[in-house]
Amino acid sequence: MELKNNKYYEQWFKNAWTYVTGAVLLSLFQIVTLVTTDAAWGVTGAFANWGAWIYQALGGSVDGWAYFSSKSAQATLQGGFLRDGISIRNMGIIFGALFATLMASQFKFKKIKSWRQVIAAILGGLCMGYGARIASGCNVGALYSGIASLSLSGWVFALFLFIGAMVGSKLLVKYFM
Amino acid sequence: MSEVILDCMGEACPVPLIKTQKKMATLSVGDTLIVQIDHSCAMKNVPEWARKEGYNVEIEEVAEGEWEIFIEKTK
Repeated sequence: MELKNNKYYEQWFKNAWTYVTGAVLLSLFQIVTLVTTDAAWGVTGAFANWGAWIYQALGGSVDGWAYFSSKSAQATLQGGFLRDGISIRNMGIIFGALFATLMASQFKFKKIKSWRQVIAAILGGLCMGYGARIASGCNVGALYSGIASLSLSGWVFALFLFIGAMVGSKLLVKYFM
Repeated sequence: MSEVILDCMGEACPVPLIKTQKKMATLSVGDTLIVQIDHSCAMKNVPEWARKEGYNVEIEEVAEGEWEIFIEKTK
């Protein structure tokens, strides 16, 4: 029997898992993360470090920046990429996603459709990155981990995330479609 | 009873869904819309919406990471 007709291959690798399966797994991994690292799951904090490392590699210095002024931030920057667990976990997410799409044999280089799409992607990325940093977290660190920690801030974040998504969708339909 | 093709290649969510909704509104009963996508999330939300509307939906994987969603406007 060919692999692509195998029932278990279809179930595990080909078909998308249900939202409930995903939610349960995310919750389990959140617990494991909290227990093993003493910190809730976060993603975008590491991106700021990646930016700092790139800036330093180009000869810049972030020592005077308020964002990196704390002792722990300095320690993380000095420790480097390989000693930053959040960075390693982010790489795991990227390679995990690549593995999943390869296993399903759905990998594809997508064509860029238009300059509008490029501008929308860059603008959206910048807004999300900037927003995530001034909010001290993204939809993972501030929303998901916040609510999971029974923090009110997570719910406040959820409210404004919803408003932001509504405004963003309207702008997308109006200017980028 | 015509077939209309909607090219959503290279488009990410929620663009394929919004384009599909707009296009379906312009079709007449009995017509079929073929939505071409290469974004796996659209494979979930486009058929989900169409089935909720009560349309007949079929998905075909035409190449690696490329799908065609057939939506028949039944009412």
